Amino acid sequence: MAEYSVLPMMRNLATKSLSAEQCLLGSIVLALAVAACMWLLLGPPRAAPAYLITGALLAALLAVSLVMMRMVGRTQRRMEAVLHGRAKGEQRAIEALRNSEAQWKEVFEHNPVMYFMVDAAGTVLSVNTFGATQLGYSVDELLGQSVHMVFAAEDRHMVQGNVAACLDNIGQTHSWEIRKVRKDGSELWVRENAKAVRRLDGQLIVLIACEDITERKQAENALRQSQMYLAEAQRLSHTGSYGWHADRREIIWSEETFRIFGFDKTPSIKFGTVMQHIHPDDRESVYRTVERASRDLKDFEHEYRLLMPDGEIKYVHAKAHAAKDATGSTEFVGAVTDITARKRAETELHEAQTNLAHVTRVTALGELAASIAHEVNQPLTAVVTNAAACLRWLDREPPNIKEARGIMESIITDGSRAGDVIQRVRALVNKTTDQKAPLDINEVIDEVVGLVQYELLSHRVSLRLELAPALPLVLADRIQLQQVILNLVINGIEAMQPVTDRPRELMIQTRGEARQILVTVSDHGVGVAAENADRLFDAFYTTKSSGMGMGLSICRSIVDSHGGRLSVVGDAGPGATFQFTLPLHQEENAW
Amino acid sequence: MVTGSLASPPANAEEPTVFVVDDDASVREALSNLFRSVGLRVAVFGSAHEFLQSKLPDVPSCLILDIRLPRLSGLDFQAELAKANINIPIIFMTGHGDIPMTVRAMKAGAVDFLTKPFRDQDMLDAVTTAIERDRNSRDETKVLSDLQALFAALTPRERQVMTLVTAGLMNKQIAAEIGVAEITVKIHRGHIMRKMAAKSLPDLVRMAQMLGIGPGSGGSQT
Repeated sequence: MAEYSVLPMMRNLATKSLSAEQCLLGSIVLALAVAACMWLLLGPPRAAPAYLITGALLAALLAVSLVMMRMVGRTQRRMEAVLHGRAKGEQRAIEALRNSEAQWKEVFEHNPVMYFMVDAAGTVLSVNTFGATQLGYSVDELLGQSVHMVFAAEDRHMVQGNVAACLDNIGQTHSWEIRKVRKDGSELWVRENAKAVRRLDGQLIVLIACEDITERKQAENALRQSQMYLAEAQRLSHTGSYGWHADRREIIWSEETFRIFGFDKTPSIKFGTVMQHIHPDDRESVYRTVERASRDLKDFEHEYRLLMPDGEIKYVHAKAHAAKDATGSTEFVGAVTDITARKRAETELHEAQTNLAHVTRVTALGELAASIAHEVNQPLTAVVTNAAACLRWLDREPPNIKEARGIMESIITDGSRAGDVIQRVRALVNKTTDQKAPLDINEVIDEVVGLVQYELLSHRVSLRLELAPALPLVLADRIQLQQVILNLVINGIEAMQPVTDRPRELMIQTRGEARQILVTVSDHGVGVAAENADRLFDAFYTTKSSGMGMGLSICRSIVDSHGGRLSVVGDAGPGATFQFTLPLHQEENAW
Repeated sequence: MVTGSLASPPANAEEPTVFVVDDDASVREALSNLFRSVGLRVAVFGSAHEFLQSKLPDVPSCLILDIRLPRLSGLDFQAELAKANINIPIIFMTGHGDIPMTVRAMKAGAVDFLTKPFRDQDMLDAVTTAIERDRNSRDETKVLSDLQALFAALTPRERQVMTLVTAGLMNKQIAAEIGVAEITVKIHRGHIMRKMAAKSLPDLVRMAQMLGIGPGSGGSQT
């Protein structure tokens, strides 16, 4: 502001110097006249009288002075004219400057940017109205104050550092984000751009422009927090996320996904790199799934194993949703969960169940011991008797080879039959199961029936088989299914033990339905009380005097694991009816 | 299934036959093989019902029965036969753990019981014994029925006289008893001895005992 007075002062100085010029010329003439007079009075005498010479000189001087005066006067007029013209131009320029300054002042005052000018000590030299208003102060309240008053106490150190940095690099722009504190104590976030400049008077000042970024900062903070929550949630749930552009074969991973796959974090991962960490046995199926997904552009879901560099095996479950991105191309957004712990628990549970199933199976076989002995003993009796008969035919005179040969064939058949029974029993006693294969349910039933014949006989139970012919195959573990049927049959036989007033009949039925096979085992026994029906499948629940109460519970879990359902059916007539379903075997189950 | 079939061609009427009832075809066939190998005629049946349905040859025979049969058990079958007055000797075949049933079978008159699997010789011995017993029993039955036929051919008066004679009464006493002349009694006695083919009086007394018309049934012995 001090600069404004500079130009008028210069004009005044020019005016004064012009009149001094005229005085100077006058003075010079005057001085020459004085010098001539002095010379006439004091100088050596000449031929002419001194006053004449003096008079002549004075007259000459006068004449010269007049000529000089006129010349000076003319020059002065010319100069004044020039000066006047120049002053007018200056006037216009000043006017223009004034306008421009006012304009810039407008900009300075009302631009929605806070401007501060502080000195090296941080004292506010200038602030725009907007800047002051934003902080809840008037301009006057801030001027001359330390700029620290608009910062939180804990940030002042940083403010000092920033100012110092500016002062160290004059002319260079620095920027930073910092909190400011309003007069009412509320805070706002600003981004400050600052640089130190040297004023004309040599003083170093720092010019600061700052914009309110509170909203952005809040959004950023919210975003950061949400990202943090997300990362934390991912870490806790062992679920990573990923994005995959099918056509680019490149995948973007979240931090947790990197952790799950055991990779160092990089902006994106190549599909091939991921494949290397997938268990060799699962690569083919993963590849197929991914291929299909990139072809069909549809949601997909799959499970596979990872083989970590240290040999550890991880189980992961991945699920992806197909979404159109901004450019209209398909992007998969997916989640991948480390289910190793769950798998391990499942495996342990499965093992426990398998062991329990084994125990109950062997227990059931124990109940069938007499029946099994009978099933082996019958063919064995035939074998021994036939062998004896064979010897007698051979001992005849002459030996009857034809008879002996025929008998030998019977022996082979009967021996195989006994072997089959033992094989079947051994399979049931065997612990390793869970080998699912496509099989005919009627065959499984026939094999079980083969083991319980004697049991039926000794309990005077007649068996009716209504097996639907040519049923489609089911994918199942033969032994486990035998166990289920065996259990239901034994239960049925036992339930009919007290029955004396009606025929003891056990019926096994199979029926093909739309997408499943229905197996029904019904008896004419004591039936199931309605209030017990719900608890029937609970572990350790039993209505029998002996027995663990595990049978039906195990049967249900076996049927469940085959994707079917075991249930007791509402009573039709006397006795109980149990039925279970099994889904039909399909060549390939879609993911 | 061989139902009530004779495994060997019918020879003379007296050739003994073994009947086998077992629900297991293998066991039936094996037993058939064994008996045929020693020249015995065999007929095999899958159930008691089949056995009862078939017409049995009237020859010395025995029945080999599995103690556990579907529907009608071996024991029930035994009782049924007894009720129908069919006195065929029965050999039971049992599995393990059928002791109580075996005891019941033996008490009900079974000839023998064999535990499966049995020794062939044991089975053949049991069958031989059973058939022998049946033959004897059949012989006894035949003698008796012959006697009964002869006895039936007597006139009522002759039957009365025979009863009194075999009871040890003198001719005079008989004449007084039935109110005829002693000479008439003598004529009746002659007819009786001839018609009954009795060689002597003790022979006639034995016949009377077999017929059950001894002292208890016929005449009075004061």
